Amino acid sequence: MMKRLVAGYKQFFGLNKPGRNLRVFSDDVYVVSYPKSGNTWTRFLIANLIYPDKHPDFTNINELIPDPEGVTKRHLEELPRPRYLKSHAYFDHRYPKVIHIVRDPRDVVLSEYYFDIKRSAIPDDFPLEKFVSRFVNGELNHPYGTWGENTATWFYARANSPRLLLVTYEALQSEGAREMARIAEFIGVPANPERIGFAIEQSSADRMRELEKKQGHLWSSTKRTRQDKPFVRSAKAGGWKSELSEASIAEIESAWGGLMRELGYELASGGTNASLVQTRTPSLNGEQSLAGTRSK
Amino acid sequence: MAGAIKHLKAAYKRAVGLNKPGKSLVILPDDVFLVSFPKSGNTWTRFLVANLRFPNEPATFANINRLIPDPTATARRDFDRMPRPRIIKSHECFDPRYPRVINVVRDPRDVVVSQYHYHRKIKKIADDSPIEKFVTRFLAGETCPHGSWGQNVATWLYTSEGNPRYLLLRYEDLIADTPRELAKVAGFLNLPTSPELLAQAVERSSADRMRKLEKEQDHGLYRNSRKDMSFVRAAGSGGWRKDLPLEQAGRLEKAWGSLMKHLGYELVT
Repeated sequence: MMKRLVAGYKQFFGLNKPGRNLRVFSDDVYVVSYPKSGNTWTRFLIANLIYPDKHPDFTNINELIPDPEGVTKRHLEELPRPRYLKSHAYFDHRYPKVIHIVRDPRDVVLSEYYFDIKRSAIPDDFPLEKFVSRFVNGELNHPYGTWGENTATWFYARANSPRLLLVTYEALQSEGAREMARIAEFIGVPANPERIGFAIEQSSADRMRELEKKQGHLWSSTKRTRQDKPFVRSAKAGGWKSELSEASIAEIESAWGGLMRELGYELASGGTNASLVQTRTPSLNGEQSLAGTRSK
Repeated sequence: MAGAIKHLKAAYKRAVGLNKPGKSLVILPDDVFLVSFPKSGNTWTRFLVANLRFPNEPATFANINRLIPDPTATARRDFDRMPRPRIIKSHECFDPRYPRVINVVRDPRDVVVSQYHYHRKIKKIADDSPIEKFVTRFLAGETCPHGSWGQNVATWLYTSEGNPRYLLLRYEDLIADTPRELAKVAGFLNLPTSPELLAQAVERSSADRMRKLEKEQDHGLYRNSRKDMSFVRAAGSGGWRKDLPLEQAGRLEKAWGSLMKHLGYELVT
């Protein structure tokens, strides 16, 4: 009862965090990704592109590009328009414009593993193979579904829609300027090379590491975590090749191989036993065939 | 001031559990969700499943919102009082929190015709509103607040097909052999079943009985809608072949053809 009264009071004054009950505006832009897919880096990149004079860092990033689960309804309704919001949510048809950041799940699981050690959710010596199994089976400590589920909802429901821009973490790493130009065009920000170069430089792994050292104890995602472990870790693609066991790689690829291949991720296990659920081409562009992929 | 009163009213309702939980519904680990895009036979399936699950309380338009409630239409208090496992109706797109899901899908060419007539009945569109215009809005997902047909169905199918906690039912199969499909539901829910129990549930959910109940019960489900048009309409499949111009069927097939084929719906254009 007390809890409900407090909740009622908070709602009355707009101090509640709306989450999926967020009021969506028609000019909103959402940066959507599964956790540990380079979302914080992308937020820095985009914030530096649109608000260069606000000097984005860990102390203001949650205000510049907030998460509806992390800030109050009042804050969200007072943001300048168009709003740029961050979200780990699975498909929400109301989101008008979506930048979908996707990362190789074999790297996502590694990143999640080290982050869970940093936030003391698992001990230092927790077996990585066991962690991978939990990750694949959806035994997660967040409510966003598995990597395959979350990614598939956006990928298949918005396939080829002009309202969704798919950007992979890997392309952002290897072709930063090109990918940033796509993002700038998508959100309608002038995309001159200087402005893009500046945003990339301001969001480099080295600079973010430096900022983390100074501000890590202030930022919501890192303040109550182990300070001997960094949040900005390797900031690279392909770490799974040396760190994941063959069995773990096969486990991930057999669960989500079809979807991974469609996203352009080469399968190490050849993908012969890839899950049927996602062995299809995007469904909503009409012309492509799904013949013969009905599940057994 | 009016705003403040609205807020206070909402706060009071929340405190005593009269609010409709919607997306804030607290989901229990043994919950089962009966999910479908609107106008895909959800009400009929609700009757079927309710009559199977509660053989001692025949489903009617007056009690269906209590037997198999909708989080956007039923008070939180009633959710807290339901016998477990709860069976809950939903039109939402994929939600990973739903522990078990029965997903009813229907040929979008029939769905659009059904929704067109329904919108005329509830006076959302004019009686002579052109179907082409409706198809345009239907394709864009503007005719209901649950995404487009393709989006809604794709989010479930591509995340969940093959998962033992997910049961896919086609409305067309339900029409063609209701007891057989309902037996699948019974198996999925671990409900005791026999040919007699299945037949009873089917009988209590027949289009004739539902039409009769609709006439008798001022149930409030569709209050303020036109009384000269019934909610329980054709209760068949394939009506689009006569009611939907071929050109309009073609537009749906162009947008969602691969998904439709995957579900076994034959394309004609």
